[in-house]
Amino acid sequence: MANVELVELTKHYRQGKTVVRALDGVSLEIGAGEFVSVMGRSGSGKTTMLDLIGLLLRPTSGKVLIDGAEASRLKDNQRADVRGQQVGFIFQEFNLLPALNLLENVMLPLRYTKSKVKDGRARALELIEAVGLEERIKHRPDELSGGQQQRVAIARALINRPAMVLGDEPTGAVDTQTSQELVGLMRSLNREEGVTFVIVTHDLDLASRADRMIRLKDGRVLSDEPVRSVA
Amino acid sequence: MEIIRNLARRKLRSTLTILGIVIGIFALTTMGAMAEHFNALLDGGVKYFGSNVQVGAPDGQAAILPTSKLSELERVEGVDAVFPAYSFLAKPGQVTAVSFGIPDFIAGSDPAEARYVALKTTTADGRDLTPSSHGEVVLGTSIANEFKKKVGDTIDLPVKPADAKPDFVNHTFTVVGILNPTRTAPDSFAYISISDAQMLFRDSLPVAIRDSVNTTQVAQGFTVYGKPGTSLRELDRIASRINQDVSGVKATKPSDLVNSFKSGGATFTAITTAAAVLALVIGGLSVVNTMIMAVTERFREIGLKKAVGAHTGHILREYLAEAVLIGFLGGAIGYGLGVVLTNLLNVAGKASNLELFLVTPTLTAIALSFAVALGALAGVIPAFRAARLDPVLALRTTN
Repeated sequence: MANVELVELTKHYRQGKTVVRALDGVSLEIGAGEFVSVMGRSGSGKTTMLDLIGLLLRPTSGKVLIDGAEASRLKDNQRADVRGQQVGFIFQEFNLLPALNLLENVMLPLRYTKSKVKDGRARALELIEAVGLEERIKHRPDELSGGQQQRVAIARALINRPAMVLGDEPTGAVDTQTSQELVGLMRSLNREEGVTFVIVTHDLDLASRADRMIRLKDGRVLSDEPVRSVA
Repeated sequence: MEIIRNLARRKLRSTLTILGIVIGIFALTTMGAMAEHFNALLDGGVKYFGSNVQVGAPDGQAAILPTSKLSELERVEGVDAVFPAYSFLAKPGQVTAVSFGIPDFIAGSDPAEARYVALKTTTADGRDLTPSSHGEVVLGTSIANEFKKKVGDTIDLPVKPADAKPDFVNHTFTVVGILNPTRTAPDSFAYISISDAQMLFRDSLPVAIRDSVNTTQVAQGFTVYGKPGTSLRELDRIASRINQDVSGVKATKPSDLVNSFKSGGATFTAITTAAAVLALVIGGLSVVNTMIMAVTERFREIGLKKAVGAHTGHILREYLAEAVLIGFLGGAIGYGLGVVLTNLLNVAGKASNLELFLVTPTLTAIALSFAVALGALAGVIPAFRAARLDPVLALRTTN
């Protein structure tokens, strides 16, 4: 199972003549099956850290190890393969493909990866049932509410039985009640599937239901501690 | 399936883009079919005139040559056979100053000439003329259609003009054969025996001299053959030798005739192809524009696909496939419309021997593959743009 290790990870951007230190020497480990929230103000480096863990970005220096293997220096297509097979993504804006129906959206990652999932359709239907949308498999995204779309995105993130799911403000575009339902859903999937969740959020309720909370400030880890009041 | 749905997402834009290709391929098909028709006509000319030497009266003289020249021509080195030539307009008096085809002709034909002629004809119905044919005619397919004649029918030749003078003469011929289509000159020819042709030649002379000329002793010209398979270069040499050794005639070098046919064909093809390509380029640019817009609108989708494991090649293929589909749809519709229109015009023109279009398998292959290639070519830049997108930037794009 996933064991993500960040070693002195930095990411610097050049903005005109100034260098922005989005992430500045972060080292931490995330154990398999953990449900971790990452908090911090805007510009603290949360999303950059998530993008680096998800191999969407290359670090300026430092390493990202997934299951002990250095992943951040891989070539583009190798990184895409790792993303496809080991990482699931949930975005604030859902990012479902409007031309595909619910079932096709969930099955999208299977199109691009050599999946370890034998029967993709059965796996998709199982996940759709788990997120409570089995009555709507033929619906297009524009026929679903925001909460329902995010449920589809969660199912999509899990289709390949990834080692970890990375969420970037997954409850940021839904109302409070839907947000609570989504958090509950992610937690139960975290337990049932044993998959690691790393969630960047401003949502204190979500963060309080995580196993562990990492706080970032100015690209550095401000605090990293277990959450006592797990829901 | 996703590609088709993506096209359907922007119905008006997709329709307009496909329409651009439709117009281009429609133009290519119709213009190309016209060029193919003329090329078939001209190829027939190249084949026929490249296999013999045409001998006529010297420049400035009337086309009346004594048949005694025939034996002189036969003695020229390299000559294997000589046949007297007679031909007449089948519809005299008709205005043919501007014509898209070959006018109907009556031609004197010696069955023995068939052995030498490179442009072979075969009968679809009935039989060929025989050495003793008299009052018989074999019709090309177009002229038979034009006059709605079949084997056993009769036809008066030449056709009497509406304003014919009292001394106009024509004769009734029995149709004994209909030729298979050749897509070139023989289709609009009526073949009669040499003796019948000499009779028509007499009728064509002015009344004042008609009775003083023995038309069995004269011909309008001669067709000279080397042994079957004689090269064009050797035929040119024969023409030179005729001009040198035989007085009172002029032999035209077959290569001059062949070249004039070829250059005519090349010019026509260039003009029609250029017009069609211009239309296609405009269609192609509209595909480029549409695909660039599609890529720009779908930045986040591309970012998402890359995030879930798509390689650069996957994205490239998806966007190229979409552009190719646009090209194919436009091509298929444009080609279909072109075939329908050219067939309708051919049917309409059949009655007046004015079939202008010929859709060949080559043209079909060119039209469809050009449409697909155009789509692919137009899609290359947008597809590369999509494939090379940074997933993080693409995901953060606000549409």
